[in-house]
Amino acid sequence: MKTLRIAIVLALAACTLLGQHEEVKNLHASPEDVVAGGRIFFSHCAVCHGLLGVGDRAPSLTSGQFRYGGSDGALHQTISRGVPGTEMPGIYFDGVEVWQLVAYVKSLSMSPEANTPTGDAVAGQKIYSVRGCSGCHRVSGEGGRSGPDLTNIGGSRSPGHLRTAILSPNEKVLPQHWTVRVVTKDGTEITGRRLNEDTFTVQVLGSGERLLSLPKSELASYEIVRESAMPSYQGMIRGDDLEDLMSYLVSLRQRRAAQ
Amino acid sequence: MKFTRLRFDLLMALVFAIATSLSAQVTSERLLNAASDPGNWLTYSGTYQSQRYSALDQITRDNASRLELSWVFQANSLQKFEATPLVVDGVMYLTVAPNDVVALDAATGRTFWRYNHILPERTNPCCGAVNRGLAILGDSLFMGTIDGYLIALDARTGTVNWKKKVVNYEDGYSLTVAPLAIKDKVIVGTAGGEYGIRGYIDAYNARTGDREWRFYTIPGPGEPGHDTWEGDSWKRGGASIWVTGSYDADLNLTYWGVGNPAPDWNGDVRKGDNLYSDSVVALDPDSGELKWYFQFTPHDLWDWDSVQVPVLVDREFEGRMRKLMLWGNRNGFYYALDRATGEYLVGKAFIHQTWTDGLDENGRPKVRPEAAPSAEGTKVYPGVQGGTNWYSPSYNPKTGLFYLSVWEYASNYHKNDAVYAAGNRYLGGIPRRIEGEPGYGAVRALDPETGDMEWEFRMVEVTNSGLLSTAGRLLFSGSNEGHFFALDAHNGEELWRTNLGGSAYASPITYLVGGKQHVSIAAGHSLYTFVIGE
Repeated sequence: MKTLRIAIVLALAACTLLGQHEEVKNLHASPEDVVAGGRIFFSHCAVCHGLLGVGDRAPSLTSGQFRYGGSDGALHQTISRGVPGTEMPGIYFDGVEVWQLVAYVKSLSMSPEANTPTGDAVAGQKIYSVRGCSGCHRVSGEGGRSGPDLTNIGGSRSPGHLRTAILSPNEKVLPQHWTVRVVTKDGTEITGRRLNEDTFTVQVLGSGERLLSLPKSELASYEIVRESAMPSYQGMIRGDDLEDLMSYLVSLRQRRAAQ
Repeated sequence: MKFTRLRFDLLMALVFAIATSLSAQVTSERLLNAASDPGNWLTYSGTYQSQRYSALDQITRDNASRLELSWVFQANSLQKFEATPLVVDGVMYLTVAPNDVVALDAATGRTFWRYNHILPERTNPCCGAVNRGLAILGDSLFMGTIDGYLIALDARTGTVNWKKKVVNYEDGYSLTVAPLAIKDKVIVGTAGGEYGIRGYIDAYNARTGDREWRFYTIPGPGEPGHDTWEGDSWKRGGASIWVTGSYDADLNLTYWGVGNPAPDWNGDVRKGDNLYSDSVVALDPDSGELKWYFQFTPHDLWDWDSVQVPVLVDREFEGRMRKLMLWGNRNGFYYALDRATGEYLVGKAFIHQTWTDGLDENGRPKVRPEAAPSAEGTKVYPGVQGGTNWYSPSYNPKTGLFYLSVWEYASNYHKNDAVYAAGNRYLGGIPRRIEGEPGYGAVRALDPETGDMEWEFRMVEVTNSGLLSTAGRLLFSGSNEGHFFALDAHNGEELWRTNLGGSAYASPITYLVGGKQHVSIAAGHSLYTFVIGE
C-alpha cells in the first residue's frame, strides 16, 4: 500500500510539476475500478454531465473526444483540478478515487451518444442567420447580447441540452439567464438580463444593451422573470432544418489556447 | 385609424432600431477629446497627453479631509495589482492579474461580468504575472496576456470578439502593458527585456485583430542604428515595451518609452549605443515609421529602462510656446524635449546620482567609467530600480509643476558572464542592496523649465505608486507603507491620508458617477474607491 501511495504521489508530481501527463498511465482501470468510479460519478458529476455521461448542462463524455485531453493523465488533471473559467469544479480525493473516475469516464466512450445531430453545419449556419438568432445571440463577437453568447456553446453544452433549449426554452433556464423587470419610482420600466444582484442593488444588461446598476431603494417594483426570453421553435424549425441548426451549434467550439 | 396604426408600427420599429443599434461607446474622436470629458477615464493615463491630470474639481484642498471609503473590490488574485482601471459612463473596466477582466458598477463596485483567461501551467514573466490595464475603442476592450495573446472583449458582456497570439511566451516574451487605441488600431508592445528578446511595437486592426505594422525597437541589418550593436547581439538585445505610450494627434506621432538592453549589467557582448534601448521613439501611428528618437542612456550598464510614460505638455518654455515632452527617467535625470523634433531642451538630475558628470549639450550623459558594474560590485546612485521607474508621473496645468515618485538609494552592481538560452533569463550580473542603506522614497515637484525641485513629500520607505493631480489642486498617491494620501499640489502639504493595509503598485484615477467625483487606487490585492462624505 505504501508503494502504491508513493506511485500515486509520483504520478501526481509528474502531472503537476512537469506537465507530462500524457505519459501517466492509470493503474486503476479494472472492471471493479470502473464500477467504483461510476458510483462517484453519480454523486459528483452526473448532475451536469447526465446520469450516463451523455451530457446535459455540461458536455457529453461519450464521444471519446475530450477538450482538455483524453489521456489518463489529462483526464486526471481535468477532474482533479476542474476547468478554471467554466462551471466545472475540481474534485478533491487524495487516493485512488480520481483514477477510478478516469476509468469510468473512459468506459463511457463506448456508449452511443444520444441526440447527436445528423445535419449539415454549413446549412445550419444559414438557418441560424435566416431565423434571426443573431439578433439576440453572439458568435465570435458578431450578434446581439440579450441572449447567451454561443461562441463555445458546442463545447460547453450537450446536444440534448441544446435541442431542449431550442424547442422548449423554458424547461431549463439557468439563473444567469433570468431576466429582471423593474419600475423605478419615477415610473420608468426597465427589463434586462440579470447579471448580478445583492441586497441593495441589481446589475442588468438593459434595453439598448446598456450596463445598468439599479439601487433597489429607487425602485417601485422589482420582479425576477425565471422564464426564458427566447420563444419556442417547436414546430417552427423541423426535420432536416433542426438537424442542420443543431449541427451548426454543436460545431461552435472555441479552440483551446496552445499550451 | 389604419394610417395611425401603421405610423405607430413604424415608430415602434424605429424605436427598436435605435435601441438595438446604439452607436459605439468610445469612438476615436471621444478618445481624442478625453481631456474635456473628465467624468470618464478612457485611456491608461487618462488622455493621450498622459498628464494623469483631471479637470474634476469637486474634491478640493478645502474638503479633501472629508474623503471616505465608498467601496472596495477584492481581486481574488495574489499577484501585484499594477492595473489602472478605465471608466466609461459609470462602468469601470479593470484587469485582475494575471489576465482576468471585470466590469464593475463604478458607483458601488458590484460586478456586471468577469472574463477569465486561463494561462498555461508554465509561464515565466520576469517580475510577476502582472497586467497594467486595458484599452477601449468602440464597444471593445483590448488586453495583452502573459502568454502572448491580444484579446478583444465585448465591453457589454465580456465575451471574446477575437483573440490573436502576438508573441511567443516560450521565448521569454509577454504582454503586460495596457494597449493604446489610436484611430482604428490598437498598439501594444512586448515585455521580456530580461530574456534576450528582440523588442517590438505592433499595431493591430481593432475590428479584425490583423496586424497592421510592426516596429522593431532594435534595428535589423541594413536599417539605421543597426551598427550600434556589436555582431549578433541585436538578435537578443532586449529593448522591451511595458508601459503605455502617448499620442499627439496634431503631429500624428505616438511616443513610446523603450526598455533596457540585454544582457543587463554586462555590456561587453553588445558594444555600441544599443539603439533604441533606453530611448523614446516617435512613430507614425498609421505606418509604424520612426520619425525621431532620443536615447537617454546609451549603452546602459545598470538596467535603466526608459519605459516611463511620455508626458505631453504645451506651455511656454524660455519665452515661447512649445510642444514639450516631460520625462523623469529611471537613470535619475529629468528631461524636457521638443516633441515635434526630439530636440533636447533641458536636463537635470532629480536625485543624487554618481554615474555621470552630468549631461552634455545634446543631453547625452557624460558617463564616469568607474561607475561600470564590476565582479566585486560597484556602488552607484541611483540603485537598480532607478531614480524613478514605471509609475505614472503627473503634470498639473493649474500649478505648472511636474510631479514624480522617486527613490533615493544606491545598489552594488556586480558584473558576471551572460549565457543566452531561449526562454531563460539573460543576465550579465546582479545588483545588490547595500546593507544599512535602505534609502527612502518621495514625491517630488519639479519646475518643468529647469528641472529644479520645488518641494518634496518624503516617506520612510521607497514607493512604487504613481500619481494623479486634479483641478481641485490636489495630488494623490499611494505608498509601499500602505497609505493613500492627498497633497496640496502647490506645496506638498499633506491634506488627508488613510491606510489601505497593502502597498500601492499602481496609479490613482478619478471619475464622476451619479454626478459625484470618485477617486480609486489599487493597493495590496484590492481596489479602493473614495468620495467626499455627506
